[in-house]
Amino acid sequence: MIQLEHISKWYNTGAARTFVLKDINLTIKEGEFLSIMGPSGSGKSTLLNIIGMLDAPSEGSYQFMEQSVFTLKEKQRMELYKHNIGFIFQAYHLIDELTVYENIETPLLYQNIKGAERKAMVGDILDRFNMVGKKDLFPAQLSGGQQQLVGIARALIAKPKVLLADEPTGNLNSKQGEEIMELFKKINTEEGITIIQVTHSEKNAEYGNCKIDLLDGRIQQHIKENSSL
Amino acid sequence: MFKNYFKTAFRNLVKHKVFSAINIFGLAIGIAACLMILQFVRFERSYDDFHINGDRIFRLQQDRYNEGKLSTQWAGGAAGVGVAVKESIPEVEAFARLKSADGVVSYGENKFREEKMYFANDGFLPMFSYNVILGKKEGALKEPNTAVITTAVAKKYFGNEDPLGKVISLNKDADFKVTAVVADMPLNTHLKFSVLFSYPTYVALTSPDAETTFNWDGFLTYVLLKESADPKKVEAKIAQAVERKVGEEYKKRNESVEYKLQPLKDIHLYSAYMSEAEPNGDGKAVNFLLIISIFIIVIAWINYVNLSTARSLERAREVGVRKVMGSYRLQLIRQFLFESLLINFLAVVLALIIIVASLPLFNSLTGKQITFSLLADVRFWLALVIIFIGGTFLSGLYPAFVLSSFRPIEVLKGKLSKTSHGAWLRQALVITQFAASVALMVGTFTIYRQLNYMKSQELGVEINQTLVFRGPSVTDSTYEKKLSAFKNELLLHPAIKKVTASSDVPGNKVGWNAGGIRLVGSDPNKSQQYRVFGVDHDFIEAYGLKIVKGRDFDEKFGSDSSAVVFNEAAIKLLGVNKPEDALNKKIDFWGEEFTIVGIVSNHHQESLKQDFDAYIFRLSPNADNYYSLKINAATGSVNDVIKTAEKKWATFFPGNPFEYFFLNDHFAAQYKADEQFGKTFGLFAFLAIIIACLGLFGLASFVTTQRTKEIGIRKISGASISSIVVLLTRDFIKPILIAFAIATPITYYLLIQWLQNYAFKTDVTFWMFLIPCLLILLIAVVTVSTQTIRAASASPVKSLRTE
Repeated sequence: MIQLEHISKWYNTGAARTFVLKDINLTIKEGEFLSIMGPSGSGKSTLLNIIGMLDAPSEGSYQFMEQSVFTLKEKQRMELYKHNIGFIFQAYHLIDELTVYENIETPLLYQNIKGAERKAMVGDILDRFNMVGKKDLFPAQLSGGQQQLVGIARALIAKPKVLLADEPTGNLNSKQGEEIMELFKKINTEEGITIIQVTHSEKNAEYGNCKIDLLDGRIQQHIKENSSL
Repeated sequence: MFKNYFKTAFRNLVKHKVFSAINIFGLAIGIAACLMILQFVRFERSYDDFHINGDRIFRLQQDRYNEGKLSTQWAGGAAGVGVAVKESIPEVEAFARLKSADGVVSYGENKFREEKMYFANDGFLPMFSYNVILGKKEGALKEPNTAVITTAVAKKYFGNEDPLGKVISLNKDADFKVTAVVADMPLNTHLKFSVLFSYPTYVALTSPDAETTFNWDGFLTYVLLKESADPKKVEAKIAQAVERKVGEEYKKRNESVEYKLQPLKDIHLYSAYMSEAEPNGDGKAVNFLLIISIFIIVIAWINYVNLSTARSLERAREVGVRKVMGSYRLQLIRQFLFESLLINFLAVVLALIIIVASLPLFNSLTGKQITFSLLADVRFWLALVIIFIGGTFLSGLYPAFVLSSFRPIEVLKGKLSKTSHGAWLRQALVITQFAASVALMVGTFTIYRQLNYMKSQELGVEINQTLVFRGPSVTDSTYEKKLSAFKNELLLHPAIKKVTASSDVPGNKVGWNAGGIRLVGSDPNKSQQYRVFGVDHDFIEAYGLKIVKGRDFDEKFGSDSSAVVFNEAAIKLLGVNKPEDALNKKIDFWGEEFTIVGIVSNHHQESLKQDFDAYIFRLSPNADNYYSLKINAATGSVNDVIKTAEKKWATFFPGNPFEYFFLNDHFAAQYKADEQFGKTFGLFAFLAIIIACLGLFGLASFVTTQRTKEIGIRKISGASISSIVVLLTRDFIKPILIAFAIATPITYYLLIQWLQNYAFKTDVTFWMFLIPCLLILLIAVVTVSTQTIRAASASPVKSLRTE
């Protein structure tokens, strides 16, 4: 489903090049739950952003569902992106001025989905996440774990094929974190949604079924089919 | 989708109440000021629009020269010029001639002093488009003793009776049959009238000269040119025609006269000459206001841009999130334009409220009645819509483009700590705004200083404690005796010190301008024009004019009817160096000889805008224009004086309305225009400073947000709050100081120019610049500090934790 070949990303600092990513080759199959690990500055987030089409590499090619992402036109890439990818952030990044309901509804607005259908879809997901009673609250009125739940609901609302999560539990306590990871696992196994998460935590990584370790922009090891599970 | 935009925009407005209020208020002030000024400008420019032949009508404006030097400029030309031009120039289709009349109109028991009356020839009504509703335009003023009146006048005298054929009387001198009624005219015409008397009557009442002479000025003369005529060529032909008529005669006197064709539409805004039908508007001031109005609205818009981009960091995260959720840039641009639309809409609504609330103030500032048409005027709403739509796009596009350009991974990771979008623009704007504020504030200061100066100067004539009433218009052959008896009876009142009759009083332009006056025996070609003041024996003493040489008029001297008193300016004009040399000299005044028996010092007859004029006081015991009563309030009440005077008036001069005013009020009225100008200026200064401070507020909040991290680091390194406030504030003082440096020389230059309008002027001193600068600096520092203190006192832990 996702195929990265010879992906490099660098910045020019003076005469020298500083590599963030160096010659990354990675294939991710549909239904995988991949954890990207590594110390700070190893390039985890950059890799995730490239996969999420939010950033472009300096070099290399990227196939997403048999389409070469960086040769597509901006508009086509956007269409590919918004129908297939959902993003989740460490800092939740909800829109403060919108209620829970409205936050979850917003991606559907950008996909021109009709009002009645939107209502049904949002209602459905609120139900699934047990948040019907909180739908008219604003983000500031929720706890961190609840906010992240809204973030996940928002990412899932448009039925993406791939869920990208950048340190999704980084701002949460361990109990809330566990709940989120359980949810991820459920989504992955029950709905077959591909999940790619960036994490520092070995424990969180174990929820996934494969794992890569990054160091200084290179893949140190790639464990497919996490045997410990 | 728009519901989502609306919710976000609206909740953002509510969340940042102060910011939104400032933003909307700033825009609303700009819109309101702009709309009101536009309406005022439109009104001023609409004068005489309604005349169907307006573009073919010209007024003959007359310039007189003595010894090659320009001496007087007239709105009304010589009596004979109209006829001469019509006779000899085929392009002239028709001419209209008007001479102002004054006095009391009576019909039966009804008698009123009417203003704006004219003797007009028969060509007048057909040429202009005043709406004749009864009778016929043509021929209405052809015969002697006919008159045309307005609806209001008809109502006043005849009630509901048919006015046609009724006979009214002017000053009981002459009777006129009403031949036509004109609808009351709109305010926007320079030539307003209440009653028109037929011109042939004027000729009969005065002399046949009124038809043909070139030596009698003040006759408003209009010509209607044929469609094909070229005004420039006609002007040249007029010069030839005049040359043929009076060239020889004038050459002998070393005089000349020149006529210019003044387009009808230009009269209201670009004409200020002697004998104008009414004090006209000022085209320059109107253009100046128009520029200011555009300036204000543009600054308000740029301020909005400033404040929006300043807040862009706060909105950046939302942009990032929306992009991650699949929003196109175009959709974001649309969203922010929608927000701009919402804010502009609220501003327009607020502006309307401001306009309605401040119309009375605006009307009193400009001295115009704008109310009558404003909200019913399609053009007002059109301007409003244009400003609304234009404002939405002009002020919304830039922030929309800036905001929508943010890249999600940068803003969501908090990497976006600095944007230099439009930093240069903001600096330049602040400098411009503050330069304008300084200029306007110094301007306001100077205008008030000049007004104060003019009001506090010694006038050289006593105008306080003086009650003036208009002399009787309806009189008979016993007038002189009656006047004398009337004066004596008034003097019996304990509070009345002096009573004097004269042709003019201080505060008026002296109406009689007489040329051709010279010393007996001097070169007949070297005559000059003087203003002649008709007074009785008591005038000079009652008004406290200082006699420098010689004596006042005195009844002991039987020959005083041929005596004159000159003022110093007149002596100078006569060409005599020492006043004493002129004493007892004889002058030739239109063939009669008069002796200069006294010389008085100059006095301010008019406002201090005017220089001292050359006056000849001539004894005129039957002067009947004004009676002045000098009152001593210590020995009796003023009200009692008025009551007594009115009672006596009714017995001595029946058939004349009793009208009075206090001379100091009358004199001060001359400064009304300057006061209005000062107030308007002050208002703009105030608005400019508010708007400038809003801009500064935006800039301050922008920069402090940008420097949040720096502030945090400084605090961790041990900086005190006050040192940070000083550091941040210092940066804002610089553009303001630059603004002062730019504004001071320009303002100085402009003020010197403006003060040229005044013959007597206050000096321009450095503190007039220093005080406004300090004041504005203080306001600016307070504005900036509200932002910097907040930023400086915030906890560094918060500002340094960006992720």
